[in-house]
Amino acid sequence: MLPTVPTPTTQASDRADGDAAPASTATTAARRQIPSASRATGPRRETMLAWGFLAPSIVVFLLFLLYPLGRTVYLSMHGNDIIGRPSRFVGLSHFEEMFTGEFGKILLVTALFTLGVVVPGAIGALAVVLLLESQIRAQRFFRSAFVLPFAFSVASASVIFAVFYNPASGVLNGLLYQLGLGQVAWLTSTEMALISICLTTVWMNLGYGVLILAAGVGSIPKEVNEAALLDGAAGPRRAWYITIPLLGPQLFFLIVISTINALQGFGQIHILTQGGPVGSTTTLVYSIYENAFAYGTSDFGRASAQALVLLLMVLICTAVQFGVIERKVHYS
Amino acid sequence: MTTRRRSTALVAAGAGLALLLSGCSSDDGGGGGGGGASASDVPGAEVLDDLDSAVDVEFWHSMDSTNGQVLNGLISEFNAENEGRVKVTGTFQGDYDTTLAQHRAAIQQGDTANLIMVYDLGTQFMIDSGQTVPAQAFIDKDDYDTGDLEDALLNYFTVDGDLRSFPFNNSTPLMYVNRDAFEEAGLDPDVPPKDLAEIREFAEKLTVRGSDGQIQQYGFGAAVYGWFVEQFMARAAVPYCDNGNGREGRAGEVLFDDPEIIEVVEWWQSMIEDELAVQVGRSTDDAQAAFTSGRAAMTLESTGSLGGFLEQSDFEVGAGYFPLISADDPGGSIIGGASLWINGEGHSQEQIRGSWEFVQFLMTAESQSKWHAGTGYLSVNTNGYDGPEAKERAAEFPQFAVAAAQLADSETNVNTAGCMMGVMADSRMASEEGWEAALTTSDSAETAMTKAKETVQRKIDEYNDAVG
Repeated sequence: MLPTVPTPTTQASDRADGDAAPASTATTAARRQIPSASRATGPRRETMLAWGFLAPSIVVFLLFLLYPLGRTVYLSMHGNDIIGRPSRFVGLSHFEEMFTGEFGKILLVTALFTLGVVVPGAIGALAVVLLLESQIRAQRFFRSAFVLPFAFSVASASVIFAVFYNPASGVLNGLLYQLGLGQVAWLTSTEMALISICLTTVWMNLGYGVLILAAGVGSIPKEVNEAALLDGAAGPRRAWYITIPLLGPQLFFLIVISTINALQGFGQIHILTQGGPVGSTTTLVYSIYENAFAYGTSDFGRASAQALVLLLMVLICTAVQFGVIERKVHYS
Repeated sequence: MTTRRRSTALVAAGAGLALLLSGCSSDDGGGGGGGGASASDVPGAEVLDDLDSAVDVEFWHSMDSTNGQVLNGLISEFNAENEGRVKVTGTFQGDYDTTLAQHRAAIQQGDTANLIMVYDLGTQFMIDSGQTVPAQAFIDKDDYDTGDLEDALLNYFTVDGDLRSFPFNNSTPLMYVNRDAFEEAGLDPDVPPKDLAEIREFAEKLTVRGSDGQIQQYGFGAAVYGWFVEQFMARAAVPYCDNGNGREGRAGEVLFDDPEIIEVVEWWQSMIEDELAVQVGRSTDDAQAAFTSGRAAMTLESTGSLGGFLEQSDFEVGAGYFPLISADDPGGSIIGGASLWINGEGHSQEQIRGSWEFVQFLMTAESQSKWHAGTGYLSVNTNGYDGPEAKERAAEFPQFAVAAAQLADSETNVNTAGCMMGVMADSRMASEEGWEAALTTSDSAETAMTKAKETVQRKIDEYNDAVG
């Protein structure tokens, strides 16, 4: 018996949390296989040895990636009994159902959320890093201050923002009131809720972005900057023509990672809006959760079908980013 | 020791099989389902005599912080009294939804707890999943006297004339008022509004604007909470779902698009549009904050929130009955909260008996006095209110008596029994979403509630198909 009961979210979170680990074991596995295959005529003992070394990573890979994936495909084509056991084959009907307005809305919210997190997140982190790069006082302090959000867990950050956004006694509305301005329905209007969630997420991700980009700035060779200064490029010019292009690899990495993270964002939505009001913050991941676990339901069939769509979206996004953006990235 | 264990296991397997068979053969015509064990299947107290060591009873619950401490106190007390017979281990499993999700997984793995706390919305599911020994079987076996137990609670958890689970942590919603604000507005805080028209009338006086025209205090503010839909319907004497609230046969559709509820939603819309009520959305936490911070002078909340309100407000808190839709409604009150289920499937006779002994202990007047005083939940045993802890609490905070009075004033009938349906949790959520859509989108109350009803219909049909 396998140790885990695979469910769509364990599959999703495997990808989220273990993204680096399984991917690297997979590539090492691939690399190691090449020499052993080319030396097929070599001693049998060596092949055995190679397989012996490969075994742990293959077992982990099969157990925690391939098996859950296969199980998700199986579940996605089955209806469930009331306890959540697959009880009848339904073919592709869970996928057919997705061609309705309801699922289109979920995809739209997911896309808007991803854009609303990735773009401002990258620009914000870049702005902070460029400002910090200039010789200002207490640079270290500011750098730490901007990286600090990275140390917050999703849950605590969300609770803090819940206090800010509270419709009746929230900090933000209190400030607006003091300034004599109107009140904003941060989480209780269909127009604002997604924006508020994006803001929260951008703040949560900012520290990570600053950390990555600051490391990138630090690795720009001194000579390049000196040469630029000698040529008279300073301030915004240097930022635009020297720093940003040289930050390409880090920016690219940041965009890929934050896109994947945004597609899988859950905690802040769960704590702040629970997908509401009226589904205006129900992203794909949240909908998977609702189908599989929330409100006493255990519709693992629909949830699995949606999880596969999510997997496909992450794959496509990543492939597009690697295909399009990476070409423009300059690796020194 | 070894042989003893083996024979115990055999007995357990036999009991499990018997339960399974009786579950399969039981009549499925009504709202009932599996788990039709009778008194003869229930072990007597003698199975706990002469044990080598106390039988372990695993108890899954959803009580944390203050409520969890009170519960743990009761568990320790029981364990001390039953040394060598029964040892209960309580584990907090997360909120009600999570506990039920864990229970589902446990059923799949054949590893359920002995005793489990399940919220009211899960009652039909618990019956249909056929894992438990109906409460009635224990009562019949021991000729247990239910005369002292609260009728309204028994009514809620009784299906087809049999009590299915043991009410334990139950509450009803109340209307809470800011007494200081009432006095400032020249209103009598001892006479809180009784129906929607009166709330509006009071709210007009309670809404306070600053010199700059900005609202400093709203008259009213409560969460868009599906439980309230159920309350309003019970108080207006309309059923929530068809087939006699799902108690005469399986519920096939929900009825929250009833004109009475449309009226409530429209009233709510106008309260917000006219700036008499603050829109706090679906979060009950936000609604509580609106009340305790003085932003909303009246709110609707569970009796379980009274303790928190008294602690967190810097004004005097008053409590009244949950409002009627219109003054001539008959009233009545639905309970909420959870009940205790004893799992039979896969558990030994000793464990089943041990669980029942523990439940009996929890339902005594002594335990309920402590439980009610410590948590604010209703006393399951009506004599619990006369216990020393409950009396002390009532003397200090007379507001605690309001909930019991509201329940005592309530007629027990099919409407106040509440809807019995497998997808009740989905339905509550759908009603909230419809209600919220009416407040936040261009949909009219009627359109929004009808749409919400349609979204839950698919789930009802699928559930009913799945259980056959």
